[in-house]
Parts: sequence; structure tokens; C-alpha cells
Amino acid sequence: MKSEALTAKRPPRARFNRRPRASALLWLVLSVTTPLHVSAQINLQITKEGGQALPIAIAPLQSADGAGSGDEFAEVLSRDLDLSGYFRVISRSAEAGEGEGALPEQINFQSWSALGALALVKGVLSSDGNGLVAEVRLFDVAQGKQLGGKRYRGERRDLRRMAHRFADEVMLLLTGERGPFDSRIAFVSTRGGGRAKELYVTDLSGRQVTALTRDRSLSLGPSWDPSANMLAYCSYRNGGPFPYLLDVRTGEQNRLSSTVGYGGGRWSPDGSTIAVSLEQGGNSDLFLLTPEGRVIRRLTEDPGIDVSPTWSPDGRRLAFCSSRRGGPQIYVMDVDSGNIRRLTFRGDYNTSPSWSPKGDQIAYTTRSGGFRVMVIPANGGEAREIAAGEDPSWSPDSRYVVLSHRGRLMVARKDGNSMKELTRGGGDDTSPAWSSRLE
Amino acid sequence: MWYWRILGVFLIALFLSGCPKKPPPPSESEFGSPGGGQGLGPGGIQDRNLAPKEPGARTEGRIRNPGSDTGGPLSDIYFDYDAFDLSTEARNALQSHADWLRNNSATRVEIEGHCDERGTVEYNLALGAKRAKAARDYLVNLGVDANQLSTISYGEELPTCKEATEDCWQQNRRAHFLLVGR
Repeated sequence: MKSEALTAKRPPRARFNRRPRASALLWLVLSVTTPLHVSAQINLQITKEGGQALPIAIAPLQSADGAGSGDEFAEVLSRDLDLSGYFRVISRSAEAGEGEGALPEQINFQSWSALGALALVKGVLSSDGNGLVAEVRLFDVAQGKQLGGKRYRGERRDLRRMAHRFADEVMLLLTGERGPFDSRIAFVSTRGGGRAKELYVTDLSGRQVTALTRDRSLSLGPSWDPSANMLAYCSYRNGGPFPYLLDVRTGEQNRLSSTVGYGGGRWSPDGSTIAVSLEQGGNSDLFLLTPEGRVIRRLTEDPGIDVSPTWSPDGRRLAFCSSRRGGPQIYVMDVDSGNIRRLTFRGDYNTSPSWSPKGDQIAYTTRSGGFRVMVIPANGGEAREIAAGEDPSWSPDSRYVVLSHRGRLMVARKDGNSMKELTRGGGDDTSPAWSSRLE
Repeated sequence: MWYWRILGVFLIALFLSGCPKKPPPPSESEFGSPGGGQGLGPGGIQDRNLAPKEPGARTEGRIRNPGSDTGGPLSDIYFDYDAFDLSTEARNALQSHADWLRNNSATRVEIEGHCDERGTVEYNLALGAKRAKAARDYLVNLGVDANQLSTISYGEELPTCKEATEDCWQQNRRAHFLLVGR
């Protein structure tokens, strides 16, 4: 799938050119004058603490020649923007935008304004041989101006990804930072029935769920490699449990180690090594392995439990969970020197750390009554609760964590201001892992 | 092949109850509920009572058949929250397990460590391993041949009880003894 900004360099396709000269001119004007002051205003409104969600209308894309489902595109985009917590998606009214085109001069902005929309997304789907082209634009309704536009070219099955990509673009234009929605979430679920736990992967709509294993066994603790093609996890398919790797593209599973492991491995940010908790005389210790399973070195040597390593984005430190001084707490190790310092001091049960991709914060699970997800500065400091739930995993933009809460996956904003349901699957969905951006 | 196991236990229960022609269906407690099972003496085990020898198949059987947690000659032992030290009750139970294992020295047992749901997955995997190891080490100290014993942690993955009560959590914080072969 390819994408490009809708700029004047590439003239619009013929079907837009009902009035060729005017349209071409308009195109030029619109694509070079993204009204920064307008997006800055909206940006300020929605990104400030406790800011109001921005009302945005998303019209179904017009399908020029039955090329693809404009409704599906709008649905995926709506869901992403709702999940972001920054937007209030205005449900489509039958009359609004009926029969009007997707170019600014064809839009009756007043009718959208009457619906309460401050921003509007419109676009067109068309065929390109066997492929699909989506041209989508974001408008400031009050000013009647285009804020940005993108043209995506891909196969027909890329429709949903195009919508996720545009959601990321809308986030960039209106919050100043690209969104995290063109990515995937791996998780563990019993939705296949009974007590078996299999691995699944979903897009950020939570509704394109694919089973990755069918072992009728227990697969636990998945995490992604940096390229989002491989999962490290832990499986009982040959007893153990043992650490495994799974190639998501082919479904191929390979045992990473013949030593019993407690949870899946975690790839270092450069992809060259995997940190994993392995059995050592009845106890768990952290080891550094090559992706082929060869032990590079042992990282901890302690009679307490050492599990759940998570890398700092520079690959120089690991946070992990250890019971070396009684109840489980989060510790941070300098990988080269082996120096370890304790990070969490509040509460007597702190587990499953996840280091944010930006590096400044660590999310973890605390138990006091129920489970809560906390965020603490990576260099130490005051922890703050962001949501009820457990086993957090950061989004690639470090603005969200996905977590499990009562058998469902939820997406929570790290500022604690929003929590939205991602999955509800007729089984227990647990242990989510958020991938990097797909491209 | 869990159904062979159930059938086997059922047939033995029939035999022990004196083989009436039409016995009432046995209740679960007759299978040997936790704490009850010193059941079978030397030579009393049929092969069909044994879990599969292949470890992956054992796990699959345990997943398919939640009822496989009850029964067997060796009762479960229980642990405190976030702990793996052995209580007096657990030590007493292990003492009689050791006697049984020495009398059935050809039988191999897989000791499963389990946890309640009030923990996170990976920490509980490691905690379950510590529980299984504590039970194993105690049996070996009592003279059981180490080659008879293996351990596996199931963490919080195979609870026997699914309610959110202390009574239920207590039942799940256990070491379970699965006969796996000879």
C-alpha cells in the first residue's frame, strides 16, 4: 500500500474534473495552504488537559465505481477516532451531505455545522486496475477549509489499513502527533472455547480478529519483534512451558529454548537479542538469548522470582518484576553493568512492567483490592493510576496503553482521561501486546 | 485420553464398593476429593489411570478435562497467598504421599504448581514453579526417588474453582499430583 499527500504535483483524476480549470486551481490552493492557525486552535482545544472531545463528522466515502465499501472505511476511521479519546464522532444523519461531492467547493459546510461538527472527513474510493485508490480529506467546518488530504493506493484488502492510516493522519493534523492506529494488537484468548488459550491478532478496530495458533494448549505472554512480523510467547504444546517464536506471516512456530520459560521473550529494540525468564534450578532468572535461542548471558542470579523483562527504547536498560525483597516489585537493570535499582515502592504487589517507546515512562500492574494500571517515570518518582486492569502494553506513539480488564481488552489514554473497549469476544481476552507502526 | 482415566477410576470405584450389579452412580466424593485420597494400595493402579507420557498431551488432557483435578491417590496440598512455603497440613499430606510413592516406586508423578487469579500471568507462572519445587524437594528429603518426580507450573491457568471468594482462591493455590506413567 502506498500513500501520498494530496498535493498539486499530481493532478486530480478525471472524475473530479467536471469543471477542470476551476477544480485544478482549487486543488492547488487547497493543497498548499494548510491553514495552520486553524488546526492549531483545534489542537489546543483537544489536547489540553481535560479538553473537550472535538466533534467530527465522517461521511461514508463515495465509491466511484463500486470500488470498495465507503461505509467500511468510515466505520474503521470512526472507531479509531473514538478510541483516541480526542474526538466525538457525530453519527451520520441521512440528509447531511447527501449528494454533495468530496471537494471543498462541493460541500455545504453550513449543513455540517448545523450537525455540530467542527471537523469533517470526506473522500472517494475508486478502482485502479485490480487495486483500490482512496482519496480522503479533512476539513475545518467553520472555516470551510481543507486541513489536509491523502491519496492511498493499494490492493482491495488494504481498505481498512487505509482508514487506519488516515486516522493516524487526522491525529497528526489535529493533535500535532501521528496516531498509533496503523498497527496490530496480539493477545491471548479463550474465545475458541474451553480452557485452551490461543494467540490472536487484531487490527485497531478490534473486529478483524485472526487466530494465530490452534494448539488446544496454553499460549501465553505474546510480544512483538520491532518489525511487527514475529511474536515471542510461551507455550505448553510440548509441556514445559517453553519460549517460542511465531512468524505471523506464515504461522510457523519454533521453540526458542529447550529450557522451561516463564512468559514470552522480549525483543531488544534493535531486534538482535531476546530477554526471557528461564527456569534455573526451580527458580526463574533472566537471560539474554539470540533469536536462534543461544544463550548470550545470564542477567540475574537471585533466589527470588525474576520475570517480565521490558526494554528501554535505547536497549541499554531492562525493567523487570522481581520478588528478591519479598513481594513482587519493579526493578530496573543497566544491561551492560548489571546494576539493579528498585523502581516501585508503593504497594506490595507490582508486576508486568512495560517501558514506553518514548522511554520516559513505565506502565505496570499493581494489585490492591483489584488490579490497576499505573504509570511511573522511568527514572523513578511518583506513580499515578491511569485505569483499572492489568498487563499494560504501550502504543507506538506512547500516548495509550492497551490492557486487559475483566476479560476484555481496553485502550486507555496515559493521562487517564479516556478508556475505551477494544474487544469483547465471547471468551477471556488477556495479555495484549501492541505492535510498532506497520510502515 | 481422559475418558479412559475417568472410566478407569469409575471401574475401580465400582470394584472397591463391592461390585453390586446395579450400583447407584458414584458421587464425586467417592473419586477422592482433595484431602480424601489415600485410595489405592500397592499395585492398585491401572495403566488407564495414568496421564499420557508425552508432556504436551498431558497439558492438553488437563485443559480438556477440568474434572481431572480430582481423584488419584495423592491429594492436593494448599498454599497461602503469594507464598510457596509448606504449611503443617501440607507437610503431613506430603509425609503420606512419600509413603505411597516409596511403596509405588515404579510410578512417576508430575507435580503441578497452581496459583489463584489474584496475580498477573507471568509472575504466577514463576510462583507456581516455586510451589511445585517446594513439594518436590520435601518429598525427595523424605526419601522419594527424585526420578519418580517431575514438576510443571500452570500458574493461574487451570483453576479448579472460578468464583471470586477466599475459599475458592484457597482451593486454587495448590500443588496437584498427576500420575503420569511407570
